[in-house]
Amino acid sequence: MSEALKVPSAKETFLEPLIANNPVMIQVLGICSSLAVTSNMKTAFVMGLSVTAVTALANFCVSLVRSLVPGSVRIIAQMTIIASLVILVDQILRAFAYDLSKQLSVYVGLIITNCIVMGRTEGFALKYPPIPSLLDGLGNGLGYLLVLCVVGSIREIFGSGTWFGLTVLPTVNNGGWYVPCGFLVMPPCAFFLLGSLIWLVKTFRKDLQEPKEYDTHREDY
Amino acid sequence: MSKFNKDSVLGTFIVIICFCLVCSVLVSSAVVALNPYKAAAVANDRQINILKVSGFDVQGSVADTYKKHIEAHLVDVQKGVLADEGKSAEEIDAFDFKSLSKKPESSIAIPASDDFAKIKTISKLMPVYFSKDDQGNVVRVIVPFYGQALWSTVYGYVAVDPKDGNTIKGVTFYEHGETPGLGGEIENPRWQALWVDKKINDQSGAYKFRVTKHPDHEGAGKDFDIDALSGATLTSAGVDGFSHFWLGKAYQPFLQNLSKGEILK
Repeated sequence: MSEALKVPSAKETFLEPLIANNPVMIQVLGICSSLAVTSNMKTAFVMGLSVTAVTALANFCVSLVRSLVPGSVRIIAQMTIIASLVILVDQILRAFAYDLSKQLSVYVGLIITNCIVMGRTEGFALKYPPIPSLLDGLGNGLGYLLVLCVVGSIREIFGSGTWFGLTVLPTVNNGGWYVPCGFLVMPPCAFFLLGSLIWLVKTFRKDLQEPKEYDTHREDY
Repeated sequence: MSKFNKDSVLGTFIVIICFCLVCSVLVSSAVVALNPYKAAAVANDRQINILKVSGFDVQGSVADTYKKHIEAHLVDVQKGVLADEGKSAEEIDAFDFKSLSKKPESSIAIPASDDFAKIKTISKLMPVYFSKDDQGNVVRVIVPFYGQALWSTVYGYVAVDPKDGNTIKGVTFYEHGETPGLGGEIENPRWQALWVDKKINDQSGAYKFRVTKHPDHEGAGKDFDIDALSGATLTSAGVDGFSHFWLGKAYQPFLQNLSKGEILK
C-alpha cells in the first residue's frame, strides 16, 4: 500500500506545515497547550521545542515500524511510542532545566494527548518512509513552535512587560511606567490572539480559505 | 515455518508485547540514568532558594556558598527544640517534609480552627537552616512555610532574626501555581522586600503580622502590616493565612526558645 503512494518532496513535507498547513492555525489542533503555556516566552519556547522533538521522533519511529504494526492495534502502538518519547523529554527537562520543568508542570506530560503528534503519526508516518516522516514531524513541530512564539511574545510583552524575562516595558510594579494588561496573562486571552492570527493568515493567503459549504445565491435549491 | 501473520490474534499479541518491552526498557533505563542529574537539580534549586534569604550572595558555585554559610537542623515542631539525633547530615539537609506530612506516623493533624494554611496535617519534624557569617555566628534562622493560596499550594522560606525570634529578615517563594502577573507577583523582589524588618508578635506576645489590603503604614500597625498584592486578593489572603499558621502557631514554641537563647548556645 505504501509503495503505491507518491512520496511528497522533502521541501514540501517540511515547509507546508509552517504556514500553509500549520497545525495550529489551519488545522486548529493543539489548542489546549497553546493557551496554557504561552503566558511567557521561556515556557512557550521550551514547550514548542519539546513538541517538535516528540513529533519528529515519533513520526520517525512509527514510520520505521509501520510495516510491522497490526492494523487493529495501530493507535495503541503509536501511543506507546509517543508516551515513551514524552516521558524521555520530561525526564530530560527535569534533569537539565529544573526551573522550567516546574513551570511547565503537567503540560509536558500532556504532550501525549496533543492532537498534532497523534495526527501526524496516524496521518503521515504510517504511509511514508522514515526520512520524509521525520521532516514532516519537524515541520509540524516548528509550525506549532512558531504560533506559540507569536502568541507568547504578545502575551509576555504586553502582559508582563518582559520578553524571555528581560524587561521591555518597565512595569509599575517594578517602578516603571507601564500598567500591564492583566487580561493578557490569563489563558482565555490566547484564544483571541489565536483567532486573530488565523484571520490574519487567511486574509493574506486567500488560497487557504476553505471553499464555502453552501452558496446562498444559488437559485436551484 | 509458515509466514508470520502480524494481523492474526497471536501475531497482534506478539508484536504489541515486543513493542511494550522495548519501550519500557528504554524509558526505565533513561529514568535511572538521569536520576543523579535530577537529584542534583533539585538540591541546587533548594540551595539557591535558601541562599536567597540567607543574606549572603552566591560567590563561586552555589554548592560551595551553601556549604560555607548554611547549617541544616531538624526541629521538633511541637516541643520547639532541635531534634537532629540519629539522622545523617545529608538526610537533614534534604529533609522531605512534604511527603512526611502525609504519613500518619510522622505527621500531626491540625485542628480545623487553627488551620489557616488549609493543609490539614504537618510533619512532626521540620528542617531549619542556620545562616552563619564568616566567623560562624548565626545571623539568620531560615524556616520553610507553605499553604494553600488561590490555585495551588505556595511553598517558601522565611528568615527570622535569631536574637529575638520575632523579626522577619527575608522571604522567598519557590514553588507556586498562582496567576503570572497577579498572584505570581509574590515572586516580585520588590514585594518581598516589604517583609524585611516586620515583626511577628507585638510586645505582649500576641500575633500581629498580616498581609492586608488596608495596611497601617504610620500608626501602631506599621511594624506588622504588609500591602496585599493588587489584583490578587485570594493569593494574598492565602499567604496571610499560612504565615499566621506557621509563624503564629506552628513555629511559636521554636521561635520562643530561640529568643530565650535556648537553641543557639
